[in-house]
Amino acid sequence: MVDRPGPGAPRALRLIASWLIRSRDARFILHDLDEIFARDVARGVGSWRARARYVHNALGSAASVWRADAHRLRVPALPGVSWLDVKLGVRMLGKHPAFTVVAGFALALGIPVGLMPLQIFHAFNAPMPFDEGERIVGLRNYDISIQDPAPRAIHDFETWRAELTSVSAMAAVSSARHNLVDEDGRAEPVRGSEMSAVGFDILRVSPVLGRRLLPADELPGAPPVVVLGYDLWQTRFGGAADVVGRTVQVGATRRTVVGVMPEGFLFPYRDNLWMPWQARALDYEWGQGPALWMLARLRDGVTAAQARAELETVARRTAAAHPETHEHLRAEVVPFTWTVTGMEARFNLEFFQIQAMALLLLAVACGNIGTLMLARAATRSSEIAVRTALGASRARIVGQLFVESLVLALLAAAAGLVISSVVVDRSTLLTRSMPFWFDLGVGSSTVVWAGALAAFSAAIAGVIPALKATGPSVQRNLQRLAPGGGGVRFGAISSGLIVVEVALSVCFLSVVGVLGWKGILSRELDPGIPTAEYLTASLRMPYAPPGDAPEAERRAFAERFGRIQEEIARRLAAEPGVRGVVFADRLPGMDHPSRRIEIEGEDLPLNAAGTAHTATVGPDYFEALGRPVLAGRGFDSGDLASERRAVLVNESFVARLLHDQNPIGRRVRYAARPGDEPGPWFDIVGVVSDLGMEALDPALAAGIYHVAPPGEIHPLRLGVHVGRDPESFAPTLRALAAAVDPTLTVPDAVALDEAFSEARWGAVWGAFLFAVLALIAIALSTAGLYALMSFTVSQRTREIGIRTALGADPRRIVGSILRRASIQIVAGVLLGSGLGAALLVDLSNDPMFHTPQWPSVLAATAAFMVLVGLLACAGPTRRGLRVLPSDALREG
Amino acid sequence: MGYLGEFEQLILFSVLQLGDDACGVTIRDAIEARTGRVVSSGAIYTTLGRLEERGLVSSSEGVPPSGRPGRPRKHYALEPAGARQLMDAYAAIQAMAADLVPALAKLAEG
Repeated sequence: MVDRPGPGAPRALRLIASWLIRSRDARFILHDLDEIFARDVARGVGSWRARARYVHNALGSAASVWRADAHRLRVPALPGVSWLDVKLGVRMLGKHPAFTVVAGFALALGIPVGLMPLQIFHAFNAPMPFDEGERIVGLRNYDISIQDPAPRAIHDFETWRAELTSVSAMAAVSSARHNLVDEDGRAEPVRGSEMSAVGFDILRVSPVLGRRLLPADELPGAPPVVVLGYDLWQTRFGGAADVVGRTVQVGATRRTVVGVMPEGFLFPYRDNLWMPWQARALDYEWGQGPALWMLARLRDGVTAAQARAELETVARRTAAAHPETHEHLRAEVVPFTWTVTGMEARFNLEFFQIQAMALLLLAVACGNIGTLMLARAATRSSEIAVRTALGASRARIVGQLFVESLVLALLAAAAGLVISSVVVDRSTLLTRSMPFWFDLGVGSSTVVWAGALAAFSAAIAGVIPALKATGPSVQRNLQRLAPGGGGVRFGAISSGLIVVEVALSVCFLSVVGVLGWKGILSRELDPGIPTAEYLTASLRMPYAPPGDAPEAERRAFAERFGRIQEEIARRLAAEPGVRGVVFADRLPGMDHPSRRIEIEGEDLPLNAAGTAHTATVGPDYFEALGRPVLAGRGFDSGDLASERRAVLVNESFVARLLHDQNPIGRRVRYAARPGDEPGPWFDIVGVVSDLGMEALDPALAAGIYHVAPPGEIHPLRLGVHVGRDPESFAPTLRALAAAVDPTLTVPDAVALDEAFSEARWGAVWGAFLFAVLALIAIALSTAGLYALMSFTVSQRTREIGIRTALGADPRRIVGSILRRASIQIVAGVLLGSGLGAALLVDLSNDPMFHTPQWPSVLAATAAFMVLVGLLACAGPTRRGLRVLPSDALREG
Repeated sequence: MGYLGEFEQLILFSVLQLGDDACGVTIRDAIEARTGRVVSSGAIYTTLGRLEERGLVSSSEGVPPSGRPGRPRKHYALEPAGARQLMDAYAAIQAMAADLVPALAKLAEG
């Protein structure tokens, strides 16, 4: 982590410590803890070790303070709760293993789910891990007309920097991939930032070697310099102490290394190079220029709200002077994490709703566990009655039952935290795309919240049943002690819960079924080319003009990039072992966007069946892939003219959208969004075979290919056919690209089949989440049914015995026992099928999840749930049938 | 005469050793440096609080010359009563241990 010279410990830890340590000297103790932490960090003790030592010291301090207080005040232990209860609770876990597993599983999954909204909110709003990180903010323009940040704000940056008095410093940051080229011409893409020198002051981070960037480095004509990241220094320069003063080539520029930043400093993404910010507003029109993020530090004593008010005043003046560019812009002071990710997490109604939903889910799970507890309490009602009779207070007994469930909930919460930290750890795809300080992991605050949720769970699952079990009926139970059975009633809430859970099981399970179905299908999809023989990579230029840049700027870029592309194609073709090269915006097997289309003279359905995938390819794409045109003609040089309207379609397009009519000469266009003008018509000139445009569902593989001349596609996807072990060709490709243009980066060079499998990742992940939800719902509903049935049977033991003795038909007895449970199962399945159908119809409209087979999946799910429900009832029912009349009568 | 526990003795010796610089962190450091024992900050303050109630140490708030600016500190000083009790306790231990150290070391080794 980052060295923090200032006042120490993470806020969350300090919060817990201040909460735990209550004494008149608490403030000194807390300061000491802080100071020891800061000293540990400064001494080079690892950040996690320092935190561990902090926690150890804090807990020890709390214990000392408690002991001293208890000693002085002679405080008795908590009323109604003792260590014995805890021991008893642990023993109960072992005594009812099935209950422990079901309830523990539900809580272990439910508690992390309940925590997630808060955790995400916290990750987006947490202060950055720098000295007084809570005073670091981001400034930005937010375009309210498109609900997105407007990052091309170099004019605003310079205006705000000059005028704002509420921030002590303000920096511009822009991060991109750059090529680091070594002496042999080998190029490696490295993430790096151009940043105002004052950015290092704002973050208050010092280099471990040399100096950081200085304002003088930003001046036009200043010698080009670079500050290296620790990892890069270690890996590329072997940690050489004399690296400062050496020159390295970053893109096309040779820069002198002036410093090395400390380990773990990767600001803002996974950056390892920092170069001075040299862009100036006077070179650009208002609303033009490079995209940038603004980083600032609030002046001491100024609150974020005051800074916001001042910024609004300044921005209002700008908007009045430049209405054409600033009419829809709103200037904001936000956490820098929002600025840099373009995402946000506000404490608003939406967040509240999501959090409430998550808690509701947990509450439902707890309610269910409560039902199980109640069933268990029913079997223990005699014990409770006797203890009450012997003088145990109600509080004492409720306390015992609460502690029992608390023990379970705390263990489950711990298991849940382990699960969620493993999940977060594994989803590197998520963390890789977030700034380096973004932490969704299990922090100390998460532990506190998980503990609180465990207590919340235990209160619902333990206290309510306990109150019921110890209520006025205790007296009655005492009187009925001899007849056996409990006096606790199985309430309408419990029954309702079971119905809801069966319904949710059906609902979730059918979604899992549909997703699983598609997952299985995709495994057999043929992308159409030997993907294992292709190396694929992006070709990217730093600072390509965005789509709304002036026409001239874009044309100049396309010309330059086109020359580069042609030169690369020429050099690649001359490489030994290269069998072919293709250029496109995406290659077979990758995720292709799909759009709703219109075909002249056809009525297409308004759902997923009326969409087609699109790709833009180089003119000789199909020849190079060895998939020649099947009908009509391929692209030719005439199609590259600016008025080009020729497109190719694939076989699925002809079969599905045109019902095998001749497509040549037909016209197609993209459907307009409501309120927009429809786009131009395109002429279909030829048909090609299907080439892996749809990774999930062959039924949706209709596709349209556009052609683009070299230079017009950026970033460009390159496919090189090299035969076996394509990734061994990656260094050659990089060196070749760097030789053509040193600023050109070649990130993510992988075998095409790797890229292919990544496309399915999202769907698999979604299916996994739903599977987990379905599993919770099934576990809960079966447990609920089981509890209900056990309860019914135990209450009716006597009646069943008498009926058996009188010669009743066993089938009728089974029927009468099962009646209530079967009503609940059927009601749940019906409700769930309705919900599931609504969800699946909706889902089917999304091309990604389009599954015409959903009714059969739903029917199978419903049948499965009925079966599972009946199985849950089987055990207790058998127990009921085995009741011997003699036993039943003896009990009576 | 009151009784002084072992930990209380350690703390009183530290306060004596540190003089003007005796406060929570430095006392903790001193105990760790001389005995290798790592104790919690809370234990130090509660013990000092108890000793102060018994009139064995006195405390004052302020910023030490060597400390970081802005951090509140509580300084402790040994009172004559504390010094007397510490001396008594140490004398008692010494008297008890007299001539026994070699035998003790031998037992501990064997």
